[in-house]
Amino acid sequence: MERIYELAKQLTALPGVSGDEQRALGQVRELLGGSFDETFCTPVSSFWGIRRSKNPSAGTVLLDAHLDTVGFIVTAVCDGGFLKVAPVGRIAEKNLSAAEVWIYGEKTIPGVFAAKPPHLQESGESEKKMSLSDFAIDTGYTRETLETLVRVGTYVGFKAEAERLNDHIAVSPSFDDRLCAAAHLRALELLGDEDVGLHIAFQFSAREEQGYKGAMTTAYRVDPDMAIVMDVGHAYVPGAPERRKTAVAGKGCLLSYAPQTSRALTVWAERVAKEEGVPVQPVAEPGRTGTNSNAVQTTRGGIPVCLLSVPLKNMHTANEVVDLRDARAAADLVAALLRRAAKEQEGLFRHGTASLL
Amino acid sequence: MEPQAFFEKLKAYCAVPGPSGMEDAIRERILADILPSGASYEVDPLGNLLVFKRGRERRPYKLVVAAHMDEVGFLVTAVTDEGLLCFDAVGGVDRRVVSGRRVQFCKDGRTGVVASKSIHIQTPDEFGKCEPIADMRIDIGETDREGAEALVRIGDFAVFQPNYAEFGEGLVKSKAIDDRFGCAVLTDLIHSDLAYDTYFAFDTCEEIGCDGAKEVCHRLRPDVAVILESTTAGDVCDTPEGARACELRKGAVLSHMDGGTVYDKELLAFALRTAGEEKIPCQLKNIVAGGNEARAYQTSGTGARVLAISAPTRYLHSACCVAAKEDLLAVGRLTRAILERSLPLC
Repeated sequence: MERIYELAKQLTALPGVSGDEQRALGQVRELLGGSFDETFCTPVSSFWGIRRSKNPSAGTVLLDAHLDTVGFIVTAVCDGGFLKVAPVGRIAEKNLSAAEVWIYGEKTIPGVFAAKPPHLQESGESEKKMSLSDFAIDTGYTRETLETLVRVGTYVGFKAEAERLNDHIAVSPSFDDRLCAAAHLRALELLGDEDVGLHIAFQFSAREEQGYKGAMTTAYRVDPDMAIVMDVGHAYVPGAPERRKTAVAGKGCLLSYAPQTSRALTVWAERVAKEEGVPVQPVAEPGRTGTNSNAVQTTRGGIPVCLLSVPLKNMHTANEVVDLRDARAAADLVAALLRRAAKEQEGLFRHGTASLL
Repeated sequence: MEPQAFFEKLKAYCAVPGPSGMEDAIRERILADILPSGASYEVDPLGNLLVFKRGRERRPYKLVVAAHMDEVGFLVTAVTDEGLLCFDAVGGVDRRVVSGRRVQFCKDGRTGVVASKSIHIQTPDEFGKCEPIADMRIDIGETDREGAEALVRIGDFAVFQPNYAEFGEGLVKSKAIDDRFGCAVLTDLIHSDLAYDTYFAFDTCEEIGCDGAKEVCHRLRPDVAVILESTTAGDVCDTPEGARACELRKGAVLSHMDGGTVYDKELLAFALRTAGEEKIPCQLKNIVAGGNEARAYQTSGTGARVLAISAPTRYLHSACCVAAKEDLLAVGRLTRAILERSLPLC
């Protein structure tokens, strides 16, 4: 748990608003390079690395988590040193007044979403519906200086640090999905030097928040035989619909039964979890999972995908709250699945299946 | 004091939690700073810190320079079965600057997060709207009542998480600049060589109705009160010029009138004249809004003549107040220049 938090804290400190992942790739490679035999960056700004089995004809398992975060993109530089922005990903306006951001311009500068103070408001103003176009980001610069630093198209992300609320609860922006990357990496650490008889690829996919573009292209490149996609899922919060009580923070990682995941792999993963004593919470997702699962699943000739999620509160805010024990459960389960896949899912890794055509 | 030292001190003051009604920590910090000056002081029953500093000369009237120690904050009102905390604001805080913020509990520094239902699980009629503070909850990472009650109880205070930093070109950003900035100017003045005997008041409970200042008036019975504060600057994007109140980088703000006070005309004219003679940038607040403990000084006992010298500050009463260093320094310089002079009082 400590190790996952340490990894997640390093990863959440990196930039990488969806579309601007390039900015993070150098540091990602530096941080993660040691975990793989080879690492690559793709034209869509995903990172991926592979840990090879001694058996060159072994099958390949792909682990996926997404690199990108939600944020904003500058649409205008205004008088007084303010910026107008559009959203990158879905973001609730109600949290933006006086929220702090990083502006990834010529240099990275801090910004604050302007908020009208109560002294200047008319009565009832705070109850009104807000739209992002009503907001502006204060940079503290004059317009002249600001124009040398920022232009239309500059990316903006939430500014806040990872922090523990107690022993096992942590808060940070971009735990979606950097925490899951940390859990995957932790699973690899748990394997140590063990050769599980499979090549293990990990992709840190770009542009999940923009339609899964990184995952579909990177998975195409990796061409795996099976994949474990990991993302965050909504943890139950008071006021949420009753059906969300199936995903409670602190009760284990989520395992998705969905048309966009492989039922066979999911059933197997649940059995493995039970045998290994890893807490999991099955969830049902009848439509889109809202994760990379479908993008990976439909790559090339189709990839069997298992989707694990870490329950998370306040998604797409600067304060995403998680229970690190759930991330540990996810790491433990991924490690167990990797250890057992070659043998227990042998059928998936038979290369050279004769074409029916 | 050198500007750099002044801003180091401001940073330290802003970091101390001190919502209205719990100013003890910030008062201790301020006291530690003024003890070496040799000025005499007392702490009154409401927690106000009163200081007297001998000057080179006596004044024929009693003058107090005041700033308030308290900041806006939050008070825990209930603990839920799910281990979340109900709370209310202490002072005037817009619900929208509370949603999604981190807070710090005063008694142990614990962090809490103002929970915010993710946009994905909001219903369409919730989009873009902010619930009232009464419906918000603070998450401290506990999942049941017992766990939460072991750590936090009804009546516990919290404030916005400290976040002082340099900002943009010559600005600073922090919670509680209102009015730790005024406190920092006062402690500087207490250490300086003063022309005249001067009283200083570090007031409590300004944000909830200036209750501290009322007691200060009662004890000191000042003839003149000069209030140093942060005042709201509306010079933000899309705000018409006439509705901005005041603007950053245009100097100290002097007010004719605000939501609670009509300021003394002679003192105001004197302050404007002094600023002009000393070439200290200053501006007039151009809307009638806001207010400060001048209202208490003006109306307590037989009343006092009041003057407010303010620093224009954006996003007052939020986690990120933004002010210009040059304006903060201008307020200090103007106050010092005024204290050097004999006031034109009849």
